[in-house]
Amino acid sequence: MNARRSRRFQPLLFGAPAMVGLALFVVLPFLMALVLTFTDQQLISPEPGVFVGLRNYERLLSIRALVQAPERNDVAGTPSFARVRSLTRHEPAYLGYRPLGELRFGEHRVTLLAKDPAFLTALGNTFLFALMVVPLQCTMALGLALLVNAGVKGQTIFRAIYFSPVVMSMVIVSVVWAFLFDKDLGLLNQALGTLSFGLVKPVDWLGNPATAMPAIVIMSAWQGAGFQMLILLAGLQGISQELYDAARIDGASMWQRFWYITLPGMRQTIIFVLIVTTIAALGLFTQVDVMTGGGPRGSTATVMFEAVRHGVREENIAYGATISVVYFLLITAFILLHQILLRRSAKVIS
Amino acid sequence: MIFSPEEGECETGRGGAGVLAIMPVMYPEMGQTLIWHSLSLTQRARARRWAMASVLLLYTALAACDPGTKPGDRIELVLWKNQAGREEDAQTTAQIDQFNAKQSRWRIVPQFLPQGGYDQSIVAASLAGRMPCILAVDSPMVASYAWAGHIRPLDGYVATGTLAAVSPSAVGHYAGRIYAAGQFDAALAIFTRRSILAQMRMRIPTLDHPWSGEEFQTLLERLKASGIYRYPLDLGTRDDKASWWTYAFSPILQSFGGDLIDRRSMTSAQGALNGEAAQRFGNWFQALFAKGLVNRQEPDENAFVRGRAALVYTGDWAAPAYRTYAGADLLVLPPPDFGHGVVIGGGSWQWAISKACSHPEGAGAFIDFMLQDRQVAAMSDATGNVPVTEGGASASRDFGPRGNSRMFFDLMRRFARPRPATPAFSVVANAYTFAMRDIMDGKDVQDAFDDAVDDIDQTIADHHAYRTGGHP
Repeated sequence: MNARRSRRFQPLLFGAPAMVGLALFVVLPFLMALVLTFTDQQLISPEPGVFVGLRNYERLLSIRALVQAPERNDVAGTPSFARVRSLTRHEPAYLGYRPLGELRFGEHRVTLLAKDPAFLTALGNTFLFALMVVPLQCTMALGLALLVNAGVKGQTIFRAIYFSPVVMSMVIVSVVWAFLFDKDLGLLNQALGTLSFGLVKPVDWLGNPATAMPAIVIMSAWQGAGFQMLILLAGLQGISQELYDAARIDGASMWQRFWYITLPGMRQTIIFVLIVTTIAALGLFTQVDVMTGGGPRGSTATVMFEAVRHGVREENIAYGATISVVYFLLITAFILLHQILLRRSAKVIS
Repeated sequence: MIFSPEEGECETGRGGAGVLAIMPVMYPEMGQTLIWHSLSLTQRARARRWAMASVLLLYTALAACDPGTKPGDRIELVLWKNQAGREEDAQTTAQIDQFNAKQSRWRIVPQFLPQGGYDQSIVAASLAGRMPCILAVDSPMVASYAWAGHIRPLDGYVATGTLAAVSPSAVGHYAGRIYAAGQFDAALAIFTRRSILAQMRMRIPTLDHPWSGEEFQTLLERLKASGIYRYPLDLGTRDDKASWWTYAFSPILQSFGGDLIDRRSMTSAQGALNGEAAQRFGNWFQALFAKGLVNRQEPDENAFVRGRAALVYTGDWAAPAYRTYAGADLLVLPPPDFGHGVVIGGGSWQWAISKACSHPEGAGAFIDFMLQDRQVAAMSDATGNVPVTEGGASASRDFGPRGNSRMFFDLMRRFARPRPATPAFSVVANAYTFAMRDIMDGKDVQDAFDDAVDDIDQTIADHHAYRTGGHP
């Protein structure tokens, strides 16, 4: 009786330190953040935050469209429109809105307006980053894992080399890569110029909205791939050698062995790696803060960057908390959807 | 839980409880809680370690106010200062020792805190009721602290004559009263070489006859056309922090006739930051990058000393390195006058008395002592910081009438204007910086400044124009 009871309490007892820590440092602060989102709490303020209802959410998420007919056609026939920003600063209906993007429908111009276009852009940037970096980083990691596992001499050294960027501080890696990416003196452009005999003109990697995010993707994948490599390596080594031997006897080619043995054998590992990499990618902050400061023209600003900018640097902690809570809900929905899809596909296979 | 100096020691036990009590409040301020759930595992570990370290640090900082020995019948006053380099910290300590030796009523107990988390430490100390008596405050934060009720006016504690001698840009005002006064200031200038100007057939500007905007533009275009310099001017745009962008580029905006905020009402940026003058400034700034006169991001801070740039716009702190490089060829010049006079930023770290201090007269006596010419001169000679009083400059080796840093004192004295004293300063600085960086990268100037004005005005409106505040 006594033993059974103690067995029931043992897990709780051993789990308690972690649980208390989680509750105190993750759950409680999150609940406090949730409360903050309904107030106008500032970081430095003599007044306690006042309840403002859904104001923070309204400012963060409001979207609407503005349809404009051309004002006049001049001689050349190019339509001209009233300046959007003048309208949104003076027309009561559009007060507080800023342009996010525009479309043309025949003669008309449709401008998408948002109260915080920077946040929506940042949201798009963050998912774009994840979309680019996850496949690149995981493929790189898989390639490295296969290489390191191939039985080449000195593979321990290679393993250590590939893993070394992971242990370096992200701030330092970012500073170094900012030098590599420099337009005029950077190693990358010099290498491109030399290898192409001057055909490739210097690219302003971090100064051009089109290339800034891809540059950060490349650098992030390089920095992080070693970690995924280690996990994938463990998965690789978990596949029984007998399967490969049998396949070889059956005359399977190297490609067939990879496709029919390695990949199915690593399914769980790969799924885990994809999830971990995605979560890490959605938290992108350090590289952006050090290398571009969210620029040029907001093209590398991420949700975390916006949260820190508003919540800490502009001292509007309530708004920063709102960004985090919305982002948390989005990610939760994303993970749930992912789980459902995964379960469905598992059912189909079985 | 106000620290009472008569007891001669802090109750460390209660100090610990205080820290624990404020931890949940501190936590979001570190920007960790709110982003916790979206961090990766390694990031979480890093963040957790970091948070632990900060809490420990705070704990030691707050608990360390136990001065140890019983100091007889002297009253102890705790002083907080940002760590600002070996020379400055050593000189501050030396001057505190002098003050302690000079009189027998007060004893100043200094504590130096890392500059990175200095703001957070003040807020935490204030929440925990364990504010030091005397504290150094970065000048743009004075208004915020005064409004938040962390600091109290200096009048009545520091002699009026002493404050009157201090250069206006080094005095921290809020709501019509003086809350802080700096022992030193900084000054921005254009650095170049005499030989470069001669080669470009340009005159050497003086304090009385600075370059006009057109002259400056002519010089830049000639330098570019010469083909010697890929980017003739280094504006320090490599540093993307709001503190630098505001300090460096809001004076140029003022020289064009604009400003960060309407300084008469202090409640709106409309017209000042997005008016006609600001547009001219924005267009000029944008063109610098479009024409390749300035590099949007120099690879390092050595463009001038490596000969990549002919001119550099930076502060007095760079002078020693430049003197080593250019010797007698170095020129320290006032920034151009773009129509509304030469303007440079004023206000460095300043001394203030906390509201919680139970012996403000002792704190006042100390600040009074620090602002005397002798102390001002000694600090400037030890650190290279610009002295804030005429007497201090005259008594100084480097900033005296024939000192080799005299130019910085003259620049500060004649052209420095403080940044706007508003509790919304952090928003003003961030909004302006984002607008300027967008303009640099080609965004429509009017749109960029309109966005900044809307950000600033909304914040001020949200706070009911800061009418209700902690200030008396």
